[in-house]
Amino acid sequence: MAGRVIVVTSGKGGVGKTTTVANIGTGLALRKKKVVMIDADIGLRNLDVVMGLENRIVFDIIDAAEKVCRLRQALIKDKRFDNLFLLPAAQTRNKDAISLKQMKELVDELKAEFDYVIIDCPAGIEHGFDNAISVATEAIIVTNPEVSAVRDADRIIGLLQAKEIYEPMLVLNRLRPDMIKNGDMMDVDDINDILAINLLGIIPDDEEIIISTNKGEPAILNHHSKAGEAFRNIVARIEGESVPFMSINAEPGIFGRFWKMLSGK
Amino acid sequence: MWNKKLKSPEGVFKMGSLATKPLYSERLVFKGLKQGLTLFIPEKKPFSHWLLVLNDQLKQARGFFKGGTIFVELGERKLSSNEREELSKVLANYGMTIKSFNPFEKRRFSSWRKEKPSQVMLVKGTVRNGQRVEHDGDLVIKGDINPGGEVVASGDIIVLGVLRGMAHAGARGNLQAEIIAFTLSPVQLRIAHIFSRAPEGKKEGEGPEIARIKGEKIVVEKL
Repeated sequence: MAGRVIVVTSGKGGVGKTTTVANIGTGLALRKKKVVMIDADIGLRNLDVVMGLENRIVFDIIDAAEKVCRLRQALIKDKRFDNLFLLPAAQTRNKDAISLKQMKELVDELKAEFDYVIIDCPAGIEHGFDNAISVATEAIIVTNPEVSAVRDADRIIGLLQAKEIYEPMLVLNRLRPDMIKNGDMMDVDDINDILAINLLGIIPDDEEIIISTNKGEPAILNHHSKAGEAFRNIVARIEGESVPFMSINAEPGIFGRFWKMLSGK
Repeated sequence: MWNKKLKSPEGVFKMGSLATKPLYSERLVFKGLKQGLTLFIPEKKPFSHWLLVLNDQLKQARGFFKGGTIFVELGERKLSSNEREELSKVLANYGMTIKSFNPFEKRRFSSWRKEKPSQVMLVKGTVRNGQRVEHDGDLVIKGDINPGGEVVASGDIIVLGVLRGMAHAGARGNLQAEIIAFTLSPVQLRIAHIFSRAPEGKKEGEGPEIARIKGEKIVVEKL
């Protein structure tokens, strides 16, 4: 059976697409699935850095597309999991370097072998975006609780419909419960009102993410990270389990935090 | 003075009203216009009458128009195929053929001819950011219009949901057009040539509302 091809997209840049891909990919690998992540952000590659695999890149997606190498040779095996692979973007080329036909060929070859093909889509809605969503059959839209990010997500939903992806899933990234409580941030219901698509997960704003990104170790492997927990739930939902949404109440105050440390939670 | 009246084709159509000067009203007018020689046949009086006048006129000026193709301006008059045949027969006797009828029609009447009896289009689903729906007629949206989404109709617009984007009703200039939404909190409303913004800080969820033109402004009221 052919694997699932999921594109992770947002329209707006900097909302956490690459982080989401790295964590979902790793999470699925944790569950013993065969996973390949494609970095479609040619010219601005990041996924390899977030995964801590930068120094292993020899061939990239353009080499594979132009048949300079075999697809197998371009795939980089993850440090931690034998069943997790990365197809890195080329850094010295631009998005026009790969055609839709080449992209389709690559994805067709990959989905025959892997359970999941996860595509890290570039920001924007130009050629690179078009390529990435045209080869996918499912989509995850990442957005932040900001008006501009939600607007862009709405635009993306419309563009996905045009490619016959009618039920994208939504990941709400960087929620800050304290700000929502004070009415300074859009809450989940506000965003749902506008976008009206299935919610896949809510990820609280978490410093751990920055640390893990810099270290090249996805937060999902960190059991002390709230964001990591949120990503584990997301992966479970992708796998078809129904997991309740974790409460995103405001962080406990200083005493609460102290109590938490003492009780070892 | 008579000639002055004929400077514009409109003047020619008024000829029937100059019945007090029967001598002049009994002549048809040929004018050399940009597109070519054009025969004007007034809308008043039966067509057969003008056919006789034409025949007389051409007889008098025999040879003058010989071998030309002409346009025929009929105004609002509709000719049956029989009448057309007769007309071309009379003209053919004097060596003229008809190139086409009503050369002005396209320019002069296009603006209102296009307003067909209005048709309704139903859009199922939400109009999202970057999407635009246009329709000649009334438009019903079964969903929301999100910020950045645009709907344009020559008639009314009805939104069975939340209107958060832009709606333009009466886009061809119909001042009577209306915009109705279950919840009206648009970025901008337009009816015909009039624009309006929602007042700053307006909250959603006040029940169905209707926007229409009153005076020179768009006014929003509870439905």
